[in-house]
Amino acid sequence: MSSKSSPNQTETSLTNVAVISSSDADDPAFASLGASLVEIRKMKGVLGYIIRGNSSAAFDLAEGDKITQFAFLSYQLCESCLEIAKQLSVATIESALVEGKSLKVLFVNVGENKISVFMEKNIDHSGILKRVLI
Amino acid sequence: MTEVSSPNSSSTPLQTILGEFRNISPETTKAVIFKEDGEILACNEGDIAKDRAKNLAAAFDEIANHSEVIGGVENLTIQGVNSQINVTTTNGRYLATVSSRMADEKRVKALTFVVLPTIIKLMDQIEPSKLENEPTDPPNSEAEKEKETTKPQEEPKHTEQPKHTEQPKHTEQPKHTEQLSNPHRMLSEQNFPKPPVNQFMVEKIAGLLVASDMVRIDADIVAKWVDLYGDREISQVNVETLEGRSVRCKFRPVREADSKAKGIIQIPERILQTLRLVEGKLVIVKPVIPAEWEEKS
Repeated sequence: MSSKSSPNQTETSLTNVAVISSSDADDPAFASLGASLVEIRKMKGVLGYIIRGNSSAAFDLAEGDKITQFAFLSYQLCESCLEIAKQLSVATIESALVEGKSLKVLFVNVGENKISVFMEKNIDHSGILKRVLI
Repeated sequence: MTEVSSPNSSSTPLQTILGEFRNISPETTKAVIFKEDGEILACNEGDIAKDRAKNLAAAFDEIANHSEVIGGVENLTIQGVNSQINVTTTNGRYLATVSSRMADEKRVKALTFVVLPTIIKLMDQIEPSKLENEPTDPPNSEAEKEKETTKPQEEPKHTEQPKHTEQPKHTEQPKHTEQLSNPHRMLSEQNFPKPPVNQFMVEKIAGLLVASDMVRIDADIVAKWVDLYGDREISQVNVETLEGRSVRCKFRPVREADSKAKGIIQIPERILQTLRLVEGKLVIVKPVIPAEWEEKS
């Protein structure tokens, strides 16, 4: 376990979870979702997740060398889904699922927090969605 | 100004299929098939702004550009409060549907991600082959042959010299139709002239110095072949009777370049027997073009 702190920025690594926060202020929703994601991450076939709030982000990914690629995809998924929804006159996005040839990504929009869960294609994503939203 | 794009007439089958979406899944309120540049191929909701379709394609592509880590994007489902969007891409075309969340999810996904992409793929397979087949009139070699042979059906009088007939027009016509059906061949034949067809009256040749496997042909015709094929030397001809019997043999120009040799082919006894020919009959003669010449060109 390692930790690094500064007055405005904290990066904490708890086992495999890395948390990046730009302020010390607690965000209960972020913390609660983070706790749920830690549990989801333990599920077989779930490769990891990224959660991004207004001032904090956390991730836990099995394939550490692909963190950047997963992060880019997660961000782009959020932006593109908003654009697609806008073009097709769909007001609010709750979730999105991108199915690739090898993996799939579940994107969930919970208030200010954007969550991406990466998993194998045979995993029941609706079960994961329910667990995130509880 | 917003450019509005309507489905074009060539996409009518897609339009029809999309129209059926509403019958199969009435909860599907919007369905649109479009290209990357925003061209709408089919839409079940009247006209749609081209810019809008373009933005949709761009947004989908942005995800696809970053999707290598998951093996590329196969399809995307977005769930809103009351509705859901399905987007997929097949062969450079995008399909987006908007349906109520009350809709049978399995049915909507089957239509969006399975049925329509399959139809688009099938249409793509059918259309190029249709294009390939449409302009081609299959070369009717039988009919050509008939044309070539009907002319000299009348037995000419022995006293008259039959006109040797070069038929460049005949040989060009089938070339054109083949060009359409076989572009590969077209290229080689554009560079390489088809062997001209000539008609000759048979004259028997005999003597000690006469080779039994060689015919002698009007020197003017041989000169024309030389003009046509340049440095490449033709060493054999194909001699064919009006009954369809043919033989391939060596040839040389008739020595006596007098007017009597015009339109005449001198054939030794052995070849006459093979072709079951007698003097005064007509034959069709073509130079034999070695296969390697055509390959080189």
